[in-house]
Amino acid sequence: MPLWSRLNSLARNLVRKSAIESDLEDELQTYAAQLADEKIAAGMSTSEARRTALAELGGIEQVKQSVRDRRTGTSLELLWQDARYALRQLVRNRAFTLTAVITLGLGIGATTSIFSAIYALLLRPLPYPDAGRLMYVSAQTPRSHFEVLASQDFVAGQTSTKSFEQFAGYYYFYNQNLTGPGGPSRVTSVNVTANFLPMLGAVPQLGRLFAEDEDRPAGPPVIIISNHFWRTYFHADPTVLGKSITINGKRLTVIGILPPQFSFPDLTLEPDVYAAADLDRDTTIAIDKPMIGIQPIVRLRPGVSAEHAQAELQAFYMARLHKTAAELRSFFAGRKISLQPLQRHIVGDNRKPLFILLACVAAVLLIACVNVANLQLARAVSRRHETALRGALGASRLRLIRQSLVESLMLSSLAGVLGLLIAFAITALVRNAAAFPTSPSSSRIAQLLQLPFGKLSASIYVDGWVLAFTIGLAVLSTFLFGLVPAISGTRLDLRNALQSAAMRVTQAREQRLLRHGLLVVEIAIAVLLLASAGLLVRSFVNVMRYDSGFDASDTLTGTTLLFGPRYQHPDDHGNPTPSPDLIRIFIGNLLPRLQALPGVQSAAIASALPLGEVHDTAITFGPPTPPPPAATWETAPGISVTPDYFRVVGNTIVQGRSFSSNDTAASPAVAIVNRALAIHYFAGNALGKRFNWIVGRDQFAPLTIVGIVNDVRHNGLEQQVQPEFYIPESQSPSDTLNIALRSTTDPALLANAMRKAVLAVDPQQPLFDIQTMDQRVSSQVAQRRLIMLLIACFALLAVILSAVGVYGVFAYSVSQRTQEMGIRLALGASRRGLIGLIVAQAARLIAAGGVLGIAGAFLISRLLTSMLVGVNPHDAVSFSLAWILMTAVALLASTIPASAAARTDLVSVLHTE
Amino acid sequence: MSPSQTNLLQGTLDLLILKSLNTGELHGLGVSRRIDQITRGTFQVKPGSLFPALHRLEEAGWLIGFWGESENNRRARFYRLTKAGERQLGHETEEWQKIAAAMTNALKAT
Repeated sequence: MPLWSRLNSLARNLVRKSAIESDLEDELQTYAAQLADEKIAAGMSTSEARRTALAELGGIEQVKQSVRDRRTGTSLELLWQDARYALRQLVRNRAFTLTAVITLGLGIGATTSIFSAIYALLLRPLPYPDAGRLMYVSAQTPRSHFEVLASQDFVAGQTSTKSFEQFAGYYYFYNQNLTGPGGPSRVTSVNVTANFLPMLGAVPQLGRLFAEDEDRPAGPPVIIISNHFWRTYFHADPTVLGKSITINGKRLTVIGILPPQFSFPDLTLEPDVYAAADLDRDTTIAIDKPMIGIQPIVRLRPGVSAEHAQAELQAFYMARLHKTAAELRSFFAGRKISLQPLQRHIVGDNRKPLFILLACVAAVLLIACVNVANLQLARAVSRRHETALRGALGASRLRLIRQSLVESLMLSSLAGVLGLLIAFAITALVRNAAAFPTSPSSSRIAQLLQLPFGKLSASIYVDGWVLAFTIGLAVLSTFLFGLVPAISGTRLDLRNALQSAAMRVTQAREQRLLRHGLLVVEIAIAVLLLASAGLLVRSFVNVMRYDSGFDASDTLTGTTLLFGPRYQHPDDHGNPTPSPDLIRIFIGNLLPRLQALPGVQSAAIASALPLGEVHDTAITFGPPTPPPPAATWETAPGISVTPDYFRVVGNTIVQGRSFSSNDTAASPAVAIVNRALAIHYFAGNALGKRFNWIVGRDQFAPLTIVGIVNDVRHNGLEQQVQPEFYIPESQSPSDTLNIALRSTTDPALLANAMRKAVLAVDPQQPLFDIQTMDQRVSSQVAQRRLIMLLIACFALLAVILSAVGVYGVFAYSVSQRTQEMGIRLALGASRRGLIGLIVAQAARLIAAGGVLGIAGAFLISRLLTSMLVGVNPHDAVSFSLAWILMTAVALLASTIPASAAARTDLVSVLHTE
Repeated sequence: MSPSQTNLLQGTLDLLILKSLNTGELHGLGVSRRIDQITRGTFQVKPGSLFPALHRLEEAGWLIGFWGESENNRRARFYRLTKAGERQLGHETEEWQKIAAAMTNALKAT
């Protein structure tokens, strides 16, 4: 039968049902009348003819039914009947429907939201052509903690390896000074190899990309700008090509604009401008040659496996060690090259917490399903009579199961819609939070949501795959909570079920076991979640309690960078290098202005603030001349600070003295070390001792230790403290100026004054990243805090749902046992005894669930290890608290039906039977 | 063999209905009478099989049903072959003839 015609009839049968039915009626009536006409014509009496005609027809209704049975869409129609029946049932039991839909809806909504995030961050293919073949190359060197390739090694790899279609790379400068008509501002600039943008499939919307030979030292001063920068800085000027911008005092000609959909393969970075990399084609590594750390991204040749490519690179760089100057070799010893799919590299450490969240939210969904299944089971029992009657009237068991499943599907569809709405709302909230970077005006919720995954959050939305996931969840939950009640509800002995009096004396044992089993599982999952949440909360408390070594309150911070020719002078080889004198002058002008600001108690400038980024420098012990061999070099970060620094950040001098204005460029070079350095290198007895730090390519200068300060964490709150030293800004000026103001008022109010002070010293100097120290601390723990909060919320939701489950199961059981309660009362049981009876029954299940949950937590809490700080994955406190809380809540929930049982009205029970 | 005992083979009824409508449009009773006539009374189609078959053929797009006036001025539902129905009739006739020939040969063989 032609498909089109069939679909057509299907549509007609469904849409014009009543017209078709009345047509059929008319047609058959006519047939009967015509038959009668024939008989009358043959001489029969009118009434006789009519009677015979109808008899010959064989019953109009029967014929109609046989036509209907043959019609296209009959099974659909049966389904429709089931659906209408289900809808009536759901409307009739509003309380049940509402509970079930909200419970499931919350479960599906939460799961869908988390899945949206997982899909956006982990699964959605990167927006580059054939992204599966793009790999990120990292080179771990145990000694020097590099993860990048030295530029010489990179260039050698570009030309001499076979596994790659393209071998590209980049390095970036997070903050650069842009000066021009709009006032000074900060831009993020990335230097890329000429093949980098083409490899990622970028096609400029205007102009061109870099030519093949432009990525070399002293290449043409050209720049490619991002769509965002073009719109904000040039106001989407279509004639921008050939115009120039000034970055760090260097004029660069715009040659191209990237399209809006291009995104840089490091989402924490949002480059405003792209410059060509400065890559010397000479691949020898020597101490007097500049070396740039390159982050390589490569495209594998088709058919080449990542393992093969990794092996080739590893062998290649092992062999290159011989090309490296002997004194530098130790830095590259033991280097391990690893290739990672670009997608995995981009998401990085965010994978694990997301999967943990998904597991937790799935557990909540499971509890929701169990709850609804329990509700359904209870209803199946009270609907036994109806089911049996339908069976007796000829409905097949399959039809009854189908009916029950249709009802479940209807419930889960409603829940699915609710869940989807919740997911839409949550993802929109996250996206909006990401769209408007943290500013004092953005809401607390926005800040909470945005920080943890940074710019990644902008890409979280509910799309087709997520939609499919939700639909899948809805269907899955139908089967999870619908199938068991459907099958067990229809498996019954008709005669027994119809004898309703007999039925109510005892519940079907099997059904009770099933309900109780589900309840135990539910409680176990809730305990498991609670225990995990407990571990995370304790870890968070530990992180926050960490002796941070500084006082974050009442401190405002900001950054300005003295980059560019205005603060540079030529070095011995004629290369521009930061000029200590010019920087000293700038600081000398700025610091008094800052100190004089109203509301400022003290002000300081440092090359790095607490928790901020620090970089290792080489240090040696022993005589500084002749140059110590590289093999004896140690590394530790050195931080340049002005005299009041320790006072401003609230670090305490443990021993010795702080820096003062007497420490000048002319006075002996001094250093203050942290406890870690004092202990590690001087067994704690460091005062007055000396060490050397690197000041030229292989030149070292001695420093005398004049003080020891408390350890402060840098590079993040959860990093281990490492040996560090501080030097006076006056003796070793740094071009990175982090300003810190300790205020007597709300520090946020000083932001404008701070900016004005900087502009007053140099109107071309942008000040950015203005935050209170508290904000810096809080952004450090934002992701941990969000995950902890989410898991705690899920755990609480699980507890509440489980409590509802306990209540539901026992409320139902009590309602079924009214008669038994009545008899117990009649035989002299006390009402208090009845409460005890029910609660004791509940307690057995709750205890079983608790034991199961703790056992489960014991087995799987190891998965959380990477997120735990200062707490054992089998932490007894978290486990027992989880157990106690769940048990208490569940017992409380069981007392409600128990006291209902105790209120049984003896007389009315005896009357009804 | 009495006519009432002759069981219509599956598909035979469809072929007979299509054939009966080949000469022009008919209403339900007309189809029934026409089949009676062209099979010389061998097959008498009961309404219980006729109407489901008519509706199925209509859904398949081989017939088209419409309301018209019967010879006794009654409003009756008539059926007419569509183009597709004509093709189907040709096709089914061919098939049937093949089967009939094969069956006849088979039964002749001793």
